Amino acid sequence: MSTYVALLDGGRREETIRVTLQGPGLYEVEVGGKVHRVDAFRHDYGTISLLVDTESYSVQIDQGGTEAKVHIRGSTYPLEILDERRLRMRRAAGKFTVEGRQNLSAPMPGKVVKVLAKVGDELEEGQGILVIEAMKMENELKSPKAGKLVELNVVEGQAVEGGARLAAVE
Amino acid sequence: MSVERRRFRKVLVANRGEIAVRIMRTCREMGLRTVAVYSDADRGSLHVRFADEAVRIGLPPSRESYLVVDRIIAACKATGADAVHPGYGFLSEKAEFARALAAAGIAFIGPPAESMDAMGVKTTARKNMQAAGVPTVPGSAAPIGSEAEARTLADGIGYPVMIKAAAGGGGKGMKRCERGEDFEALWQSARREAASAFGDDRLYLEKFLDRPRHVEIQVFADAHGHCIYLGERECSVQRRQQKVIEESPSCILDDARRAAMGEVAVKAAQAVHYRGAGTVEFLVDSQRSFYFLEMNTRLQVEHPVTELCTGLDLVRMQIEVAQGEPLHLRQDEVVRRGHAIEARVYAEDPARNFMPCPGRISYLRVPNGPGIRDDSGVYTGWVVPQFYDPMISKLLAWAPTREQAIERLKRALGEYTVHGITVNLTYLTKILDHPAFRSGEYDTGFCTQFAKDLLARPDPRYEDVALIAAAVVAFKRDHDEAESFAARADRHAPGRSRWQSLGRARTLRGSLR
Repeated sequence: MSTYVALLDGGRREETIRVTLQGPGLYEVEVGGKVHRVDAFRHDYGTISLLVDTESYSVQIDQGGTEAKVHIRGSTYPLEILDERRLRMRRAAGKFTVEGRQNLSAPMPGKVVKVLAKVGDELEEGQGILVIEAMKMENELKSPKAGKLVELNVVEGQAVEGGARLAAVE
Repeated sequence: MSVERRRFRKVLVANRGEIAVRIMRTCREMGLRTVAVYSDADRGSLHVRFADEAVRIGLPPSRESYLVVDRIIAACKATGADAVHPGYGFLSEKAEFARALAAAGIAFIGPPAESMDAMGVKTTARKNMQAAGVPTVPGSAAPIGSEAEARTLADGIGYPVMIKAAAGGGGKGMKRCERGEDFEALWQSARREAASAFGDDRLYLEKFLDRPRHVEIQVFADAHGHCIYLGERECSVQRRQQKVIEESPSCILDDARRAAMGEVAVKAAQAVHYRGAGTVEFLVDSQRSFYFLEMNTRLQVEHPVTELCTGLDLVRMQIEVAQGEPLHLRQDEVVRRGHAIEARVYAEDPARNFMPCPGRISYLRVPNGPGIRDDSGVYTGWVVPQFYDPMISKLLAWAPTREQAIERLKRALGEYTVHGITVNLTYLTKILDHPAFRSGEYDTGFCTQFAKDLLARPDPRYEDVALIAAAVVAFKRDHDEAESFAARADRHAPGRSRWQSLGRARTLRGSLR
């Protein structure tokens, strides 16, 4: 038997799932206090036919590392799936928080079209720091917390990669 | 009036993505050779692969490729293209582009440059329409020089006001200002967007109407003085002035009003000596009065809605008219059947304030089945570039009734699978399911008013199934890893041949079985 923990709602909720292999593609899965007989069949890329007891589901899993988006019957469930070892490592690394220094990174590749604050400014939560243009639309990046802008790594007109570190608020 | 007739042999499509593919499909059906143009970001784009010939025209930013008139003309000359289809956006509504092509002896599949002048700058268009007796919305008569002047005018008209790009379209450079305090920031943002999207940062103002609906009429005119209308498209489901869902017929038009608006639209087109496919956009207020908003002198993104209802191919008609042929049908021969709806699939994340999501599509499966049409410009493995519009596809459904068309589109959205980037499929489904949309009682404020309802809240009934799926896949992966280590360690184990090891590894690898 293997135990997995799924993090839901951006890490604010945890659910435990226990999986036991019963035969090829056949599993016994315990979740939410109930035990299900599960028959899993992988079709093409990311698509799985899941028979949970007798109910048939076509499930799409778009997975990147431990994060996955699971699509079932018109709903999408963004979650993170960790085994016990990874969960322990995660716990050791500390929880999600807005305390202390917050780094702001580019959510997508694009171009900085406007810088709205300068280093040393006192910002309110939700106050705009800079505007990035991608796909012809402007998006304002806002301060995640009230605090002081302690770092600003870009200037107007600069192109940035997705994930590039732009600024920090403390 | 004598009309020059010519027959095209090769059409250059001065556009990219889904619309370039859409146009090339008709060209191919008509036996016309096609030429694609592409920026460095689009070498691998579907439209390049789809064309008979392709020419590189520059760097990824559109100002250095798709918006450079000289590069397009050079590409025509290099390939011997005798006509250009501009698609929508980019150079499609630039009169100077049509003029430059004419000077080079290349046909422009679109209206005469003079019609574009008359409709292209929206303030001029308003003046022309007022002169032709077409009702218009109160606002500034000309582009406004300074921000201070604009602010005074906005205070005079009364909030909310719309700030719009004089050269604009498609929601770029368009902002709705609710309060005087926000005016400065919105004005500047609109100005930057306008400059970046159209290379022209002139702005004007218009009064914002109460609960207006956006209803537009498709018109078609030939060079022989005939002009017809092909019915309406209801486009009130918009977000940030960008259309999201379009349908025809509109729930608020009866035959009499449809004919009244159609005739006004034809009058508008004829007032500017229009030719080819055009769309006259109207705002219809809560009293059902309609006002001219603008005329788009090009093929619209949502033109397939009209194609499904009328059975016509608008791109074919554009090409025929540009070749000097008369329209092949009269107004009383236009037949409209059933109901069509289009949903725009955008690479954006509704959960993160509709942040654009460029990136690699790791897997794509498009819907199919009765009454479904998918006009797409992407494929598995394609990296959606950050430089252009986030729309990757338009999904349409046709059915005999509105209710069936909605259910059909919903069904198809459920079949749509896009991995690797985030798309707005769930958002689209939520719109189709919303009671206000179902009732037909919605206006252009729909997406803002019901923003909360439209955010994805996954159905709690299937959460356990999602957890089971994720856990089983993780288990399988971990199990495979363990098995492959074991198989390697086993390799020289006595009593088991290599064939046995291989067979065992094979059985355990790959599928979940």
